Amino acid sequence: MGRRILSHIGLILAVVIVLFPILWVLRTSLVPAHDSYSSTIFPTVTFDNYRVLFAEKNFGRNYMNSLIVASLSVIVTMPLAAMTGYAFARFRTGGRLARFATLASQMLPPVALALPTFMLFRDFGLTNSLTGLTIVYAAVNLPFLTWILMGFFEAIPEDLEGAAMTDGATRWGAFWRIVLPVAAPGIAAAAVLGFILSWNEFLFALILGGSHTATVPVALASLQTSNGVQISNVAAGVSLAILPLMVAAKFIQKYLVEGLSFGSVR
Amino acid sequence: MSQIKLNKVSRDFGLGNFGVKGVSLDIEAGEFMVLLGPSGCGKSTTLRMIAGLEETTDGEISIAGRDVTRLAPRHRNVAVVFQSYALYPHMSVRENMRFGMKMRKTPRDEQDRRIARAASVLGLQPYLDRKPAELSGGQRQRVALGRAIVREPDVFLMDEPLSNLDAKLRGEMRQELVKLHRRVGKTTVFVTHDHVEAMTMGDRICIMRDGRVEQVGAPLDVYARPRNTFVAQFLSTPAMNLIEAHLRVEGETVMFDAGPLVGPLPEREAVHFSAVAGQELMFGLRAEDILTQPRPGALAFHGTVTVLEALGPENLIVVAAQGHSVSARVDRHFLPRIGDGITLYADLAHMHLFDAASGDAIAREA
Repeated sequence: MGRRILSHIGLILAVVIVLFPILWVLRTSLVPAHDSYSSTIFPTVTFDNYRVLFAEKNFGRNYMNSLIVASLSVIVTMPLAAMTGYAFARFRTGGRLARFATLASQMLPPVALALPTFMLFRDFGLTNSLTGLTIVYAAVNLPFLTWILMGFFEAIPEDLEGAAMTDGATRWGAFWRIVLPVAAPGIAAAAVLGFILSWNEFLFALILGGSHTATVPVALASLQTSNGVQISNVAAGVSLAILPLMVAAKFIQKYLVEGLSFGSVR
Repeated sequence: MSQIKLNKVSRDFGLGNFGVKGVSLDIEAGEFMVLLGPSGCGKSTTLRMIAGLEETTDGEISIAGRDVTRLAPRHRNVAVVFQSYALYPHMSVRENMRFGMKMRKTPRDEQDRRIARAASVLGLQPYLDRKPAELSGGQRQRVALGRAIVREPDVFLMDEPLSNLDAKLRGEMRQELVKLHRRVGKTTVFVTHDHVEAMTMGDRICIMRDGRVEQVGAPLDVYARPRNTFVAQFLSTPAMNLIEAHLRVEGETVMFDAGPLVGPLPEREAVHFSAVAGQELMFGLRAEDILTQPRPGALAFHGTVTVLEALGPENLIVVAAQGHSVSARVDRHFLPRIGDGITLYADLAHMHLFDAASGDAIAREA
């Protein structure tokens, strides 16, 4: 009994340590700017910081940009990643080299790609456009998501497809009707990861974006001005920025846990 | 006319690594054919080639007179029952059974009719709306069978379907499968490494080793007349006793010398085997042909009991005799102690002789 209480105290402590910065950001977003650094927890509660963010800083637009780019890039990437991952898993397409190349692309620092991408996109008129940003995110996330999905597909017994194909399905039909539904937890987990990666991405958004296409991370960074950091607005922006991630995590929690342990415990 | 015909089929996995090499086999319509062999002998690969799930790199396969060698699995009208059952985990039992019919555009009311019938034959009615994960191993096995039956295919292909069941259930399912086969009457190819399944279920068995066919025949024929030492040893537990042997003609009699067993051959055996006198031979005798009581034509030998397995209905004993281990299947009341010296009798009327070098059986002269 005593040990139980002790371990609970330990866990609560750990949770507080993890959650405290987030809770403090939430608190800061809800107090007047001049009280941001005060030690009183809630001097007065106000939504003024949010109002300023939307009315004066055009944050609504940034938010929509982020949502559009992150969602679209996932929508573009997932089918490609699923098919590529399946090909790697089942047919050893490209052999070890293709697998290694896929993984190796993740080892390149993004900065190394930033400048060439910028020059390329400038020539194609894709800078300062959501299309350009979507393409970049799709391209950057494709290898990573392919790798993850490959693991999920490898964990699916090949006999399932054999059964489907003798049952009358084509190879594509077996993939579509059997493999994809069975891999759904993994695909959902991969999609959420892809969304989070795009949602948080800063470097390409900064370099390729303009005032109209700035995403949430860029907008938040721009609140650090020469006149100081507008911490109350930053706090409000951050609070809103983690919102979709929390919703996604909650919505997908079951799948995510299932998905992430899928490959290890067959 | 044979229902399934394999004509010198091979599966080359590359670099000269053959899973199956030059296998020819005719399977009659309605026959229950068992492919038997140790793991890695190519029996599953052969089955998968018939199903079209494994590429046939050489030779031809025909089903019902139609060359299917290059056809996709879905065009072969075969149903496969996998060792893992391979039930679609996201579908209910009913949907699992429906899938194949849906793919083949069987009319909906016909689908329902066949599902109902299969469910009643297999006792699956209470589980039709459950997912595979909610079923026991035996129930999953039945669903896998049901899924194959409702398709009404030309051929059933079963890849060690009983090996994941516990011993009791396996015995029951063995009998049920045989009954089911009698009722449905469809050509069935059944892969197993279990010689008991092969002996009890097959109309004929095809024993394979290293991607080749060793012998094909009715179970009791193969048991009585194994073509070589591999077949002889594989088809029973304990494996057939094998001892190096020589025959020597001395006037009217043929003297037999195989380790602990020395003496004249019985008249009938002497006639059959006198031609191979002087050759390097292997003498083979099944454990049930080692007797505890003398009998005319049985050769006595002494040995020390090293193993005693009292199975209930009978006992298995192993005796060490002049450096040879000899297994015997004896009456349940015959209970020597480990270390006892005993006399046993080898019933030479059931002896087998094999060429020592090739392992091929020496046929009894007709």
